[in-house]
Amino acid sequence: MRSVINISIMNERNGQKIVEIIKNWSRKHSIFVMAYGTGCGAIEIPATMTSRYDAERLGIRGAATPRQADVLLITGYLSTKTLKRVIRVYEQMQDPKYVIGFGSCTINGGMYWDSYNTIKMLDKYMPVDVYINGCMPRPESVIEGFTELQRIIARGEGNGAAKYKENLEWYRANQKKVLKNWPLEEYNW
Amino acid sequence: MREKTTTLYLGPQHPGITGNMMVKLQLDGDTIVKAKTEVGYLHRAFEKLIERRNWMQSTTILCRFCVPEPDPPEAAFALAVEKLEGREVPERGKYLRTLVLELARIQTYMLWYAGQSGSAGLYTIGQWSVGDRNYVLDLFEELTGGRIYHMYIWPGGVRRDIPEGFEDKVLKTMDYLEKRLDQFDKLVFDNAIFQKRAQGVGIINPDKAIEWGVVGPPLRGCGIAHDVRKDNPYDAYDQLDFEMGVFEGNDVWSRARVRQFEIRQSISMVRQIIDKLPKGEYLNKMPNPMKWTVPAGSAYGKVESARGEFGFHVVSDGSIYPRRVHARGPAYAHAVTLLEDVLVGANVADVSFIMNSLGTCPPEIER
Amino acid sequence: MDNAQIKEEKLMITLQSAFPDAEVAFMRKDEVSLTIDKEKVASVLLKAKNQLGYNYLSHLTCVDWMEQNEFELIYIIWSPTDKISLYVRTRIDREHPEMENTDMIWRQLNTYQREIREMFGVEFPGFVGDKDFILEDWEEMPPMRRDFDTLTYVDDTYFEREGREDARDVREAITKKSGEEIPDFAKKYSRQ
Repeated sequence: MRSVINISIMNERNGQKIVEIIKNWSRKHSIFVMAYGTGCGAIEIPATMTSRYDAERLGIRGAATPRQADVLLITGYLSTKTLKRVIRVYEQMQDPKYVIGFGSCTINGGMYWDSYNTIKMLDKYMPVDVYINGCMPRPESVIEGFTELQRIIARGEGNGAAKYKENLEWYRANQKKVLKNWPLEEYNW
Repeated sequence: MREKTTTLYLGPQHPGITGNMMVKLQLDGDTIVKAKTEVGYLHRAFEKLIERRNWMQSTTILCRFCVPEPDPPEAAFALAVEKLEGREVPERGKYLRTLVLELARIQTYMLWYAGQSGSAGLYTIGQWSVGDRNYVLDLFEELTGGRIYHMYIWPGGVRRDIPEGFEDKVLKTMDYLEKRLDQFDKLVFDNAIFQKRAQGVGIINPDKAIEWGVVGPPLRGCGIAHDVRKDNPYDAYDQLDFEMGVFEGNDVWSRARVRQFEIRQSISMVRQIIDKLPKGEYLNKMPNPMKWTVPAGSAYGKVESARGEFGFHVVSDGSIYPRRVHARGPAYAHAVTLLEDVLVGANVADVSFIMNSLGTCPPEIER
Repeated sequence: MDNAQIKEEKLMITLQSAFPDAEVAFMRKDEVSLTIDKEKVASVLLKAKNQLGYNYLSHLTCVDWMEQNEFELIYIIWSPTDKISLYVRTRIDREHPEMENTDMIWRQLNTYQREIREMFGVEFPGFVGDKDFILEDWEEMPPMRRDFDTLTYVDDTYFEREGREDARDVREAITKKSGEEIPDFAKKYSRQ
């Protein structure tokens, strides 16, 4: 029996070259999540990573520093003090990198819609790939969100980092509207 | 000769910190010379939001005050409002509230097992205990509809009655957990590495403990026997039979022994509640919830959560909106002034270990 | 039951005789309140802690009575022997709020005072604590005061997600679809 690697079963062609398809196939099976619990939702992450819902069978595990991570999981609401640190951490991560918005507070502010300290739309401050809604989302929803991210990577559309670099002035203008003392130097790649 | 110290930011992004806070350390080699806490990364301005919502709507937002254990804030608010109104809770309602509070205590202690041993390098216990904690969360989901945020305890009773067959499920889960706890203890408390790392570390001076505001298991680990469930009993605690765990030693080891003792007391309390559950009403219904007013005055309701005394001060001026609601979590005194004192002279590798044993949880500090 | 109020009455008599110009009142079971001028609060706290056995501080809070142009500060202390909570209340002026520093009596009052200074603007001259506790780079008025409108601040600063283009009122949509009237019990619950 001939052994043929049938590439169309692994990933969709979607107009990509063979090299891209193999790269995306290996990227989607090893997603490292950065260890940063930014809000309420961080209480369901230990439950997702341990024995009952076991996200490690999909290749998802935790990474300790931004340089080793692929995904930034914004679990819940973001206060402006945390937003400053999250932007710095996001810019320290290396390409290709993805952002998942977790919970209803990243979509439209959630139940803190009239609070003076939390942001209401995450999309204006950094590029988001997948939203998971719920308050709190169940571990099954979290795993569904990660498989959706895997499908996006497989189609070759996971390029949030490139979008951030191209539209840097627009993102910076939105960020400076909320943060008063801007800590980083101005730079462009 | 001048001494030089290094500054280290144990910052908001760190795998060893319990939540989203920062500790700024000054080190001389490996020993900490000065520590400073910085909080404020999780501020949502709850108290301003509650002033814009009426009394019924506030009960939906209160459980988010304390993220690992969301039931004590609801119970403390309900106690304060019942004191202001003079409303009586029926017996079945009191027992159901106590059941939910004890189950919440059990699942918080199982999460504590994972955090405390994970920061010492023992990762197996985290997988076991968080995996078994899901059985308790399944019970919550059947009773209230949600795994983490329940919104079950209302002023006047509870929201709904228990479904069919629930009592058998609770008893089966308690039997299973009791067997598993013996296995955890073999891994944690009989482990020479954990004993060497925990004994003599993170000392609190017992003469100054009450002045510094220490509450909960750290206070009982210093030999002082205070517990809100015994001192000012609320709900059904005066009809249940249990003991406080009080151990001498003032260090991380004695606090761990306090929690090991109390989780077994909680399991026996759950069994007593299921045994003695009376029949009758479960809610003393309030009038039209949109136009519900509470008489003017101020009241402080306090509850014993897994980490210490949780209090709610409610001030009302007779209208449909609360005037001022101010919450006090047990980590308010532990994480800011006490931590800066305990960390001086400790090793930098023990910072995460000490923070887990004191129970510093940032969402209730800055609300 | 009169029997149950004995220890509260004993405490009230002791306090009234020690501080004759204070108002001592019985609130409810295990709770007694004392209202006094702001200069004498520290002596009340010291006497309760050292002589009467009230060595446990539960809480310190600040209430904004904007209509009467005053702030009210409430200290709650507790005794492990009598198991009674004592509420010590005082009123300070709202235009220039100032209160004595008491963190040498209980160390944890340092944290409470930092928060009240940041959220209400009350000064406690003489105590040592960093200015920024919870908020960072905050330039508006202290946010917990009742004249700070959080909704206008949110509209000015943050982006909000727009609603759907065909956003309709829920009750009208349901009545149109099913052809029924809004029932009476739903009409009673107004939105205001």
